[in-house]
Parts: sequence; structure tokens; C-alpha cells
Amino acid sequence: MLGISFDTQAENKAFADKFDYDFPLLCDTERTVGIAYQAAEHPKDKYAKRYTYVIGADGKIEQAIDTKDPAGQATELIKSF
Amino acid sequence: MLHTGTAAPEFELKDHLGRTVKLSDFKGKRVVLWFYPKADTPG
Repeated sequence: MLGISFDTQAENKAFADKFDYDFPLLCDTERTVGIAYQAAEHPKDKYAKRYTYVIGADGKIEQAIDTKDPAGQATELIKSF
Repeated sequence: MLHTGTAAPEFELKDHLGRTVKLSDFKGKRVVLWFYPKADTPG
């Protein structure tokens, strides 16, 4: 499980501490990964789209989820993983 | 968004603790990559 956003290290550290996340929160401050994964369209986009990808052991996208209900869907996915 | 079956683009980023994380670190394992808009905001 990897979280990823356009936040700085300090912002993500505070987020991880608050919710006791024990997985890495990646800091895509340049949006390069967001753009590669189509969660952003422009390097100046303020926020990433709520996309969740499950990447298989073969390195291919296994599931691509456009999360409409962040509290529900993402949590369910995390639990199932 | 990227379609299923597409090769996941490789990346290398720092995490919230300053550690370097690469997709290839997880080779042979399933990975959930969760994009979220902003640290600690609802909705």
C-alpha cells in the first residue's frame, strides 16, 4: 500500500502521524507520477484525482478505481488488501 | 485513467519520512497506489 499526493514531506508526515498510517505517503510535488498515472493533467494542478490503482505482481495495472466515495471505497480496498 | 493491463509506469519518489520509494522495490508483489487530493482534508 502506497499513498501518493502532491503534498510536501512535512504535510504528509503530519497526515501519517494523525491517522497512524504505517505505509509510505509519497510526495509527488512535481506531479510527474500523477501525470504518468493520469491523476493530474498539468504540473500546476493543485490536487490529485482520487484514483486508486492495484498493480499486479507482473507490474501491470490490475484494477483502476475512480474513487467516488473516499471514506468507503478506499477503506474497503485497504482492508481487503 | 490508465486501463487495466497497462504496464504501470515506474517511479521514484521520497515518502513522508524522506525515504526513497521506487515501484520496482515491489517487483513480484501487488501494490495499491492510492492517490489522494490533499493530506488531511475531508471529501
